[in-house]
Amino acid sequence: MNEHPGANLKFVSRKRRVREDKRFVTGTAVFAQDVNLPNMKHCAVVQSPYPRAKILSIDASLALAMEGVRYVLTGDEFRANANDMKFGLNTPEVKWYPLAVDMTRYAGEWVAVVVADDPYTAEDAAELVEVDYEALKPIIDPEQAYEEKDRLVHPAHGSNVLYDGHFYWGTVDEDFVAAEERLSYRVRWGRSSTVPIETFGVVARWDEAVDILDVWASIQMPNYVELLAATLRIPLNCVRLHQDVDVGGSYGVKRGIKHSVIVGYLSRLLRAPVRMIEDRLINMASGDAHGPDRIFDTQVAFNRDGKILSLKIRALDDAGAYPGRAPFQLAKPISAIVGPYKINSVQYDAISVLTNKTGQVPVRGFGQSPTNYMIETAVDKVARHLNLDRIEVRRRNFINHDEFPYQIPSGSKYDSGDYHTVLQKALDAANYDELINRRDAARAEGRLAGIGIGTCLEPGGGNNIFEYLMNPSAEITTFSEGAEIRVDPDGLVTGVVGTTTSGQGHETLVATIIGEELGIDPDDIRVVHADSLNAPITRSPVASRMAIMLGSSTAAAAQKIIAKAMKIAAYNLQEPEDDLEYVDGSVFVRRDPVRKLTWREICFIAHKAYHKMPDDMEPGLQAQHVFQVPGGGQLPDESQRVQIYPCFSFQAHIPYVEIDPGTGHVKILDYAIGHDCGTMINPDIVRGMVIGGLAHGIGAALYEKFAYRPDGQFESATFADYLMPSVYEVPMVKDVDHCTPSPLTSHGQKGSGEGGYLGAPAAIASAVNDALHPMGVSIHELPMRSYLIENLLNGGKTDP
Amino acid sequence: MKPAPFDYALATSIDEATSYLADGNGEAIVLAGGQTLMPMLSMRLARPELVIDINGVDELFGIEETDDSVIIKACTRQVTALHSEIVKSRVPLLHKAMHFVGHFQTRNRGTIGGSVAHSDPAAEIPLAALALDSEVELRNVNGSRRVAMADYVVGPLMTAREPDELLVAVHLPAIVPGVTTATSFHEVSERHGDFAVVAVAAHLTFDGAICTKAAVAFGGVDDTPVRIPEFETGLIGETLAYGVPDAALDLISDGINPGSDQHASANYRRRVARTLANRAVSEAAADARGGA
Repeated sequence: MNEHPGANLKFVSRKRRVREDKRFVTGTAVFAQDVNLPNMKHCAVVQSPYPRAKILSIDASLALAMEGVRYVLTGDEFRANANDMKFGLNTPEVKWYPLAVDMTRYAGEWVAVVVADDPYTAEDAAELVEVDYEALKPIIDPEQAYEEKDRLVHPAHGSNVLYDGHFYWGTVDEDFVAAEERLSYRVRWGRSSTVPIETFGVVARWDEAVDILDVWASIQMPNYVELLAATLRIPLNCVRLHQDVDVGGSYGVKRGIKHSVIVGYLSRLLRAPVRMIEDRLINMASGDAHGPDRIFDTQVAFNRDGKILSLKIRALDDAGAYPGRAPFQLAKPISAIVGPYKINSVQYDAISVLTNKTGQVPVRGFGQSPTNYMIETAVDKVARHLNLDRIEVRRRNFINHDEFPYQIPSGSKYDSGDYHTVLQKALDAANYDELINRRDAARAEGRLAGIGIGTCLEPGGGNNIFEYLMNPSAEITTFSEGAEIRVDPDGLVTGVVGTTTSGQGHETLVATIIGEELGIDPDDIRVVHADSLNAPITRSPVASRMAIMLGSSTAAAAQKIIAKAMKIAAYNLQEPEDDLEYVDGSVFVRRDPVRKLTWREICFIAHKAYHKMPDDMEPGLQAQHVFQVPGGGQLPDESQRVQIYPCFSFQAHIPYVEIDPGTGHVKILDYAIGHDCGTMINPDIVRGMVIGGLAHGIGAALYEKFAYRPDGQFESATFADYLMPSVYEVPMVKDVDHCTPSPLTSHGQKGSGEGGYLGAPAAIASAVNDALHPMGVSIHELPMRSYLIENLLNGGKTDP
Repeated sequence: MKPAPFDYALATSIDEATSYLADGNGEAIVLAGGQTLMPMLSMRLARPELVIDINGVDELFGIEETDDSVIIKACTRQVTALHSEIVKSRVPLLHKAMHFVGHFQTRNRGTIGGSVAHSDPAAEIPLAALALDSEVELRNVNGSRRVAMADYVVGPLMTAREPDELLVAVHLPAIVPGVTTATSFHEVSERHGDFAVVAVAAHLTFDGAICTKAAVAFGGVDDTPVRIPEFETGLIGETLAYGVPDAALDLISDGINPGSDQHASANYRRRVARTLANRAVSEAAADARGGA
């Protein structure tokens, strides 16, 4: 693999316009809310005001008496006619229905759904549904939930513990005994998320003539169609998800399976299309859209030269009332549990507990960002403890460029990397020496100034084996992705994507790679999103996987097209294939290039001139390829060591912050990032991901929190209380790229959708603590809100 | 609709608007820029029977000045006030406060009168109006009256406006020649444009180097924006060249009654109110020295 791709690439890595931009800029994209069907009905939900309560009765008679109201659905009816939603853990008594059954488990939980001819009537009628509750004392604190024996979120489950796993990789106890130094600390990652511009929306229509449930949804979720069919008790090939609707932002959270089974059920029952669109309050309070909420207790064993030998990690994650895929966010980090460092052994205790809060869903990085914050805190603490430079400690522990592929204690083999070089590029971009002068000058004037150092690994393209790690009855060892290329008789090329897209630029990705392989201008290639009954195999655009998986499957399908074109040319030119060369669509005789078959000729023959085809060749010119996850396909060994993700991107973040000592307010004044995701398919898309990820990470680090009061009431349902960074809070960024190609993918590409978000919280925490260091205090929880910092500066330990 | 059902009336004159209010039996609400009211309607936190839209009332737009005051009509957009040369030169405290009001998108729509009418205890415009000893002009079908800002804000989101009254203008005392006036506005919020966690508006008058008159209003620290007379008295007769005397700052804590919420504790608000008061007053004093 070329270390510096570019010279021999026509389209890949070239700065080319992102083809999806046009429809977003011109306002012509089609979202779920734009799907309007004749006789469509609309939904409004009735929410529980109590975080934990028995449902004594539901009286919908007043609502049903309103003109235009068609139906009121309750949890009891749904349970009688459909299955609970399965999410992968082996916890059969933790039943998740889309509407509360018998009891409510968080403030805002849906108790009933009103269906009406228009959404306004539905809203009015929802207020008329009378629900009698018997309020119960909720369980809110995750540590208490872990110990609690009586106050249970799901009483039939017998405890509030969803998962309590123990991993021990390598000689942890020996390393802790041998180490010259040890330290321990706690960090807490607050409950935040990604909050897309578009809330979740779904339209369902049951087509009685053909027994198909048509679904248009703002969805980004693996196994969505499978879960929909299984929950509604209909065959899998009765569900047709239309994947040509755009998804207005996601990064993991667009998983409205609850909404979808409701409208699917109702559309069949009412023989009419049914639509449900969340409003913002529902999205925030009860749309199943909160991210990880995690406490880490970590011990580090290290030597006086700064070399880290071993980690003992206890991660306690608050999954809320219904786990969904949340617990698995404790498992992805296993694939990079030592970050970019050579650490000999690790103990990892991963605990997921139920509380009376909104259920947690996957968020960008699938648990890796909190874990990275914990790992980077360890490195900073080791440096501080030894009075060593934070950069030097990182350099001493980094895996070296010539040591790849490198296997870490948990079994992951990192594909490639050059961490020293990327960190140096980031430091150069930050003008690090000048930055130190700037910080020290600010300090001399009595200001609180700090520089952050944060690095991160971004595992991409995973194979779902983490499900087996947490539930051995789930023997799933792949997470493949298919691509399809069709060439028409005119020689025009269409790529078929099997999923929805939520802004990642899959069409640009596919067109660029087909163009590169076939030597055709990507602007002339069409890319379509097939519905789920027509689509190639897909596991959806999660896990930073599409460049890796869809990119590689597309390249392989294109190679199949070329192989067939070569056979047709060899037959017609009467030359052996070895003597022919494929260049930009045409096939030449290498020693006599005047003799050739053009692309148009090849395509015409393939489709129309069967007499010019080799014997027994399949007519037409099309190809499919399903790409298997590199390094996947294996179950874990007896020590629970396994390869989960094939590709590992790397970033280094260098922020500069100042803190107002009187108010505790943090301002980010400068920011530099070095990033390496191997070969960039489209540099603008990568840059957008890096900088967007940074903005997302700034939110997690400083502002965003879904807050619950001790009595379980939810406090952050609006943007006045859930504080997302705006353009004023996101600094200009100096970003610099580097390319260490992956040996495992078609063009050396790796994932790039998550790294900005993985690196920023750790780096900003590092900067804040550097600024606080002269005052003798440090902060170890996110978001680092002003009042928490000001309290530390005032010597406060409690009652901030 | 997202809101609960309501009737809608588009007024084209003040008289028309006040007659709608008179007929509203206390269940009518006035729609100006809608930056607060529309979300409250959509969340069904406000459930009026009648919404009276005053955006078509031409006589409610504009900024006028007299020898000693600036009059901002109720429906004047916040962006207009922010960029007004009259406001900038004659009511500089309000000009400074306007930079902290929302975002340019909300300022394009939001109005001066709407913010004062709503009087959120953490909002900047009522805070500046209180520090300036402004008056609010209210009108009903029978006539008009002017209420001092200090009497206008009576509780959390509660004002002295009667249900049949329309807020038509805010009268702000203006800088007059020959008097050394200095102003400063300081605010802490997590993000630019948020409602203040704590805000302080200071309006000081100097004779030479000596402070002769002080008005300092605090926002975000009580049910309403508040002034603390003892604190203001403590500034008078001082040069304030070395900051605010501790004896004066010590009076702030008892003069406010902040609450705790997810964004800050009461203790934080007390400490920061003191910090910002010191900064605002010191900055104004330094300005006065520089400008004298």
